[in-house]
Amino acid sequence: MVSTKPVTTDKTIIKLENLSKSFQVDQGEALILDDINLAIEENEFLVLFGAGQCGKTTLLKMLAGLESITDGQIVIEDKPLVGMDPRVGMVYQTTALFPWLTVMGNVEFGPKARGVSKKERREKAQYYIDLVGLNSFEKHFPVMLSGGMQQRVGIARAYCNDPEIILMDEPFGHLDAQTRYMMEEEVEKIWEKEKRTVIFVTNNIEEALYLADRIVILTECPAKIKKEYKIDLPRPRNLVSPDFLELREEISALVELREGAE
Amino acid sequence: MTNTLKISKNTRETWAYGFFGILVFLFMWQLACLYTNFGKIFPTPVYSLRAFLEAFIKPIGKYTLLGHIAISLKRVLIGYALSSVSGILIGLAMGHSKMIHAIIYPIFSIIRPIPGIAWIPLAILWIGIGEPTIYFIIFMGGFSQMVMNTMDGAQHVSKELIGVAKVLGARENQIFRKIVLPYCVPYIFTGLQTSLSTSWMAVLAAEMITAREGAGWLILAGMQTGRIENNVIGMISIGGVGLILASLLRDSERRLCRWSVRSR
Amino acid sequence: MKEKTKYIFISIASLLTFILIWQLVSTTGIISARKLPDPVKLFETFLYKLTNKNPDGNVLGVHIWMSLKEALIGFFFGIVIGVPLGISMAWFDKFDKFFRPLFDLIKPIPPVGWVPIMITFFGIGIMSKVSVIFIAAFIPAVINSYSGIKQTKDVHKWVARTFGASNGQVLFTVAIPSAAPMIFTGARVALNGSWVSLVAAELIASTKGLGYMIQTARLVGRIDVVFVGVLVIGLFGAAMMEGLSFLERKFVKGGRRK
Repeated sequence: MVSTKPVTTDKTIIKLENLSKSFQVDQGEALILDDINLAIEENEFLVLFGAGQCGKTTLLKMLAGLESITDGQIVIEDKPLVGMDPRVGMVYQTTALFPWLTVMGNVEFGPKARGVSKKERREKAQYYIDLVGLNSFEKHFPVMLSGGMQQRVGIARAYCNDPEIILMDEPFGHLDAQTRYMMEEEVEKIWEKEKRTVIFVTNNIEEALYLADRIVILTECPAKIKKEYKIDLPRPRNLVSPDFLELREEISALVELREGAE
Repeated sequence: MTNTLKISKNTRETWAYGFFGILVFLFMWQLACLYTNFGKIFPTPVYSLRAFLEAFIKPIGKYTLLGHIAISLKRVLIGYALSSVSGILIGLAMGHSKMIHAIIYPIFSIIRPIPGIAWIPLAILWIGIGEPTIYFIIFMGGFSQMVMNTMDGAQHVSKELIGVAKVLGARENQIFRKIVLPYCVPYIFTGLQTSLSTSWMAVLAAEMITAREGAGWLILAGMQTGRIENNVIGMISIGGVGLILASLLRDSERRLCRWSVRSR
Repeated sequence: MKEKTKYIFISIASLLTFILIWQLVSTTGIISARKLPDPVKLFETFLYKLTNKNPDGNVLGVHIWMSLKEALIGFFFGIVIGVPLGISMAWFDKFDKFFRPLFDLIKPIPPVGWVPIMITFFGIGIMSKVSVIFIAAFIPAVINSYSGIKQTKDVHKWVARTFGASNGQVLFTVAIPSAAPMIFTGARVALNGSWVSLVAAELIASTKGLGYMIQTARLVGRIDVVFVGVLVIGLFGAAMMEGLSFLERKFVKGGRRK
């Protein structure tokens, strides 16, 4: 049921090849990402997991085109990624909604910027607003919404732009535990319905195990791939099933061990 | 039930105390006029009120009170509109582009600390006495505040939101209109508010020095002709109009910036 | 770092170009020197005014001294009376209810509006100017210290109370320190208002001071002296604001934005 071997894929949508990133600092160069090689399948739910602060968000930003690549390359459907790409969408750690736009305005932002006709983009935005359960909140401004609701808007906004790959950067890190569980269920439901490739960053092991098809564990600075787990537990997952708890134990031990070693 | 009772008791108390405070003030004013030398130069409250009401129908100088106020309003609105529009444009440009900031800011910072009112003598020498001079003075009164506030907004536009917009597919020319501009709106309103009160002050000073009509002239003429009641009337009207202008502006901010935490 | 140097260089170049164009425009007569004296001439006038009493009866230093004295006295009293009044209004409910309506009546009247009445009372000496400036400083001082105290976080007050602090102790150890940044903001607005009102008051009626100097120079058509006066007004306004910011950095620790 559980394999710890690297996953081989046939319908690869995105490939990271020898990807490295370093930042210019006063003393010279700081290596953040070290030689990442990863192939991600179409419609896969991939979780990047690591306890530290280092690398995960930077990796997502590189995928989104917000950070430059120091070495190696990212290939999406056989084409190397250069800068921003409409095939990639992102949900942010802080909700990063436009405070001056209503829920509708936020969700339809992408299609509007690309010049989609009003009727078409409204229909589409409405579909995703309904999907994340915000029907009747279309005219609300973000300040009027709770944290969980704001993050729902963020998810709808990312999906509404029709990307093939959705990046989620610890989207529920700022939410309370109860809301977090609800949002995780929500994300899983949407993912099953909409079938896009999701790359999800978290440092919460339960969240990782609940959502992932595959978990990629990264080391602390510089981030390297430490180990991969393919998770075949049936969905929706039971958080207290023996298999779940066993995996949880194993991964926790792995992360703690490494932290102890460093 | 008990709650509403409490509130109404509190309101009643507020009114009572406030009323009492004003009454004490008026009473002392009246007494001072009747029994001290103060009364030789200063009208009593009763007399001032009568003069105030009369001023609506009886002209002082060339116009009635309302006429003077209308003239001042017209002047202030023209100067204010000019300074707001140009201040916003230059502020946006300086906040958005580091290059424009580097070019304009040093020159701007020579002009910035000079009060609008200090331009009066120069304006008269340049343009002569007349309406354009008054517009110019009001313009200089509000301009630098508009620039500073707008620039502050444009310089602090959230980098994250710009990134978000780019990831969603917004192009460079859309970023300015869709992110930078709306981000600056609350800052612009702050500028509009401070600049409005300076403009209102500038028009008064300009009218005291170079005009023969308007609320500022009314006050000064009151002093020069020894009719202090006109002075009092002018001050009351100026205060009233200033109050109305400021609350109109606040109201429109609340309407336009429902999304901003500050205006809620 | 490199980019910063580049922009500083551009700023200096821009300023020099500006002064150079100004110089050329007025020496070549594109704009008559009677409308726009050139920078060199202005510098000469500045030096001349340091020692010469023409055309307004006093040397530049006397005018500056007079203006500073009036502005700072008025400002001082505005703060010394305004801040405690604002604090008391915010802390004692009855005080608030009594003074609030009166204050609300005076608040919207621009300080310049008081000039004629103060001249009527006190003549055109220093007293009328000081009282106008007093009002200009007093109003923002009250408003800002009032809202500063009102914004004291309840939780901070509760903490102090649970440690057994009396009402007075809470005011002096919690409310006033937490209102300090707002009070300083008020002082900055007050200082700015003082300087503006001073110029206005001196323009309208006075016998000394920078405002009087530029008004007299205007009447006799000495545009160079007007220019020098306006620039000196700006310079001293900026210098006083800097001084206040310095004090603020020294006294307000923590909780200040930027």
